[in-house]
Order: sequence, then structure tokens, then C-alpha cells
Amino acid sequence: MTTVSLTDVASYLPGEPIPAEFYTDYPGAEDKLRDHPMFKVPPSRHHVAADETNADMVERAVQPLIERHGGNAIRGVDVLLVHSQLPDLPFVGAGTEVARRLGLNPEWLVDVANAGCASFVYMVKLARQILTTTDARTALICNAQSAAGQCFTQSEVRGLAQAAIPGDGCGVGYVTTSAEAPVLDVETRHIGAYAGDMTVALDDGRKYWEPGQSQLRIGFTDASVAKVLARGNRLVPEVVTELCRRLGVATADIDALITNQPNRTFLRNWREALQLPAKRHLNTFDQYGNLFGAAIPITLDRAIRTRQVEDGDLVVLGGFAHAGDFAGALAVRWHGGRG
Amino acid sequence: MREASSTLADIPGLMRIENFGKEELTAHCMELTHAVYPHHQVYGQYCTIHAHVDCPPEQAFDYLRQGHHLEEWTCSLRDFAPSGTPGLWVGQDRLEDDTTIYCKVVANAEALTVDYHCSWDQGETLWMIYLMRVVPAALVLDKPGSVITWTNCRHPYYDDNPHPDKAPRPDRAWVGDFWELFYAGHTVEMNNLKAILEHRHRNGLPVSVAPAKAVGR
Repeated sequence: MTTVSLTDVASYLPGEPIPAEFYTDYPGAEDKLRDHPMFKVPPSRHHVAADETNADMVERAVQPLIERHGGNAIRGVDVLLVHSQLPDLPFVGAGTEVARRLGLNPEWLVDVANAGCASFVYMVKLARQILTTTDARTALICNAQSAAGQCFTQSEVRGLAQAAIPGDGCGVGYVTTSAEAPVLDVETRHIGAYAGDMTVALDDGRKYWEPGQSQLRIGFTDASVAKVLARGNRLVPEVVTELCRRLGVATADIDALITNQPNRTFLRNWREALQLPAKRHLNTFDQYGNLFGAAIPITLDRAIRTRQVEDGDLVVLGGFAHAGDFAGALAVRWHGGRG
Repeated sequence: MREASSTLADIPGLMRIENFGKEELTAHCMELTHAVYPHHQVYGQYCTIHAHVDCPPEQAFDYLRQGHHLEEWTCSLRDFAPSGTPGLWVGQDRLEDDTTIYCKVVANAEALTVDYHCSWDQGETLWMIYLMRVVPAALVLDKPGSVITWTNCRHPYYDDNPHPDKAPRPDRAWVGDFWELFYAGHTVEMNNLKAILEHRHRNGLPVSVAPAKAVGR
């Protein structure tokens, strides 16, 4: 079987860091939950500019890949996969616009709208499948997250405890048919039973596209938050453990675990469950907040740049989506193509 | 009521709906919820296990109440006989050679609790206590049968034999040395208990049996 590598990753964070006070000093801000790790405010995050789109962010995130691998290589990708956490348009994903901006002409182009915070894992799996079963040779996968600076800064949402957690950014991955940084295995699960448990709330009951005054936010009752906590606690260690079982390694032997970055409680629980010391469970929560789907590629890129991930490391990327409707993990034997 | 509240206000560390909102309580509970718990955290100071047993609670209680049944469902307690002190029995714990175990059963038919007050080597201080309770499963699980719970607390004597002089020989292992295996060992015995009770109940046999050795008073 053709070996497929996660050859490189790159990322982009919009604007200057936004301090926690942007939320905590906001008039009427909920402060009673601030001391709790589930809602503890990250010191910093980034927000998209008012006129910045998902395609804008992808275009900027891809630049380092062009510098490192050449414009021809990136323009020549056969596969383009794009996940936009907050689509700019309701009818069409950002994929074709990304292709236009970057001058791509991919045979395969999919705007992925599922797998949320773990969609990077799922897109690597899709890319690997296409690269091993067709004559496609290279893929570009993109995760753009722009909800923080848009949904969560609305006047009535900004004071909620949930608003201070997310951050915006974009991470991209370059996947090739090569053996340099092989994707060793992928474990993914779509869990239909948990579909629809994460909702967007609009207090006046209007559809999100209907005119009205209510401001869109993420809806969670206390009970469903507790359920999501229990599912997340279980799902991520489960998929990572299964992946490691198939690879014949102990979870404690993972050199670098990179998960989605929902909050400190999940990060703590996953690392405990997988018996990893904190320094091997890399996170960017304090710098960038919860980056949703972009968290995994951005955190991986940062880890490589800061030498927290080195050549030869067994890197595991894993996470879960929404209220638990997807979970996935993949393993890569990292060898950076960065010179 | 108001007076009671003012008294409670003087007690540090209370978390009640009156001083913590619902959301804060929920968030605090989430913080306390981990994905995994180390063995020593769960079973270090207390060892509680539980099982559903498909046998009516009265019969399960009646079986546990009779100490001679320990010879059936435990791994290693055998050969109980009266010790000479009323209610106190002495047998062998075959976990270790030449080791006697003293046992007194304290049962409460109303609460369906059966406690075995035991000790190795001597019967004066019964510090090794097995606390068992039968709960009608109809009440707690909405199904027939019994829920049986079993708790041991880590009495200091588990870590430090108070009467090393009473051991049959100096190198005999101490019961407390096995504390780390209590969850496992008691689970094995609970499975025995469940198998015996369910087998007899399922097949319409008497659940309780006469002592192997008739005891003359």
C-alpha cells in the first residue's frame, strides 16, 4: 500500500492577541464561573478582523507551505479539503474560493462540514484514502475558525462565560504520497447517537438566517454540558487507546499528544487517562483559547517551530467534535521537511 | 430556619445552593470529574464493591447472616467452629498456613445489613470489619433481585499488626499486606456469592444450607 505522509503543517493567527480583559471587564460580564477550569478564561486569543473571511485566513496560513515546498507544489495539489467552523456563506463552502485565491486546480475538492474540532484528523484520513486509491499524489487540508471574533463578540454574548473561551485561527496541512513523515494509522468514529446535542441558541426562536434581534450563541443546558463532559472524557482516550493498541505501543509511549483545545479540564483528563506527563500533551489554550477545528494543526505547527516535536517523534493527534458526534485520532512518525 | 442558616454561615468550606449558584456548583463538580482515577485514590483508604444478584433480598440476607456460609463463598475462610465465647467463631484463613481467623456476625434484619467483625490470630479485638448490605433491586434498579454492597475501611492495624507475637511464625505474611489486592480479591468472592445465590434461586433450591459440621453447643 502507498505510504502517505503528513509532510508539513502551517498556521496563521489573525491580528494582535486579545487579552482576557476584553471579556472579563465587559459591563455585566458573568464572573462567577471564572475560577472554574471549565470556564477559566485563557489569558489571550486572536480574533478575525471585521472583513476577514475563511478564505483570507487559509490563504495566509498556506504561505509558509509555499515558501518551504514551492509555489508549484502547492498549486499542483490534487486534493483540497476545507473545514470552516463558521461558514461565511450559507450555500457554499470556502473550498472553491480557496482554490481561486491560491491558483489551485484540484481534482478532488471537498468542503467538510462534519467532524468539527477533530476534522483535521478526519481530513487526513480522507486525503490518505484518496492518495492511496487514485493517482492523486498531494493534498492540502485546511481548518479555518472565525467564530470567536464574530459570534462571541456580539454585545449580548460577549458577557457570557462561554464567550471568553474561543479563539480564531487557521491551520493547514500538506499531505503527500511519500514515506518521510508517515501517517501510521487513523481511528475515527462517527457517533450518530450524539448528533444534534450541540445547538445554536436564538432566544426568540427564529431561524439563524431570519431577520431578528436575538444574538446567536452556543446552547448548552447544565445537563447536556455534564453529558458532553462525560462523553469527551471517554471518547478521546478511547480512540487514542485503540489507535495505540493497533500500533502496538502504550499510550504512555506517545512522544507528543496534540488534541483539540476545549478547556483545561478536558486537557487534564485526557492526559491523565492516557498516562502522559503534561509536557508531552502539547497545548496552546493559554495563548490562543479554544481554536475549535483549527486547534490541532495550529498546535502541531507551533510545537514543531518550538522544537517540542522533533524528528522521529511518535505524534498522535486526536479529538472529539461538537457534543460527541465524532471522535478521531491519528499517529504520525514525524520527520519535518523544514531543513 | 433563619437561625440554622446563620450557624451554617460560620462553617467554612460549605457549598450549598444558598451561597453557590447552580452554575457554579455544576462547574465545580465538572472540575472534580476526571476521566480516570488512580487505583490508590479509589481503593486506598476504603474498598467498596457492589453487585446485582438475581436472588430475592430476604434470601440473600438470610444466607449472609449465617456465618458458616462464608466457607462457601469466600476464597479462603474454612473450618469455623465455636470459640467458646458466645457469638464468636474461630476458623482458618487459608490465605496463609496455620492462620486462625475469629469472626462475629452482626446482622440487622430490618436494614438488611450483615457485618462480619473479624481478626487474625486473636479474638479480643475484632478490627477487620466487612460491612455488607443487601438492597432490594426493585427499589434501586427497578428489577428483581438484590444489590449487595461490601465495604472495608483501612483500619490502622492493616498496616501494622498489633500482635505480631500471636502470629504462628515470624515470617507469616500479614493480612494488611494484601490490602492493594482487596478490590480484586473481594470481587472474586462477590462473584462466588453471586454465582451460588443465583444458581440456587434459579433452580428452585434452598439458598441456605446446613453447616458442614454439626456443632454441639
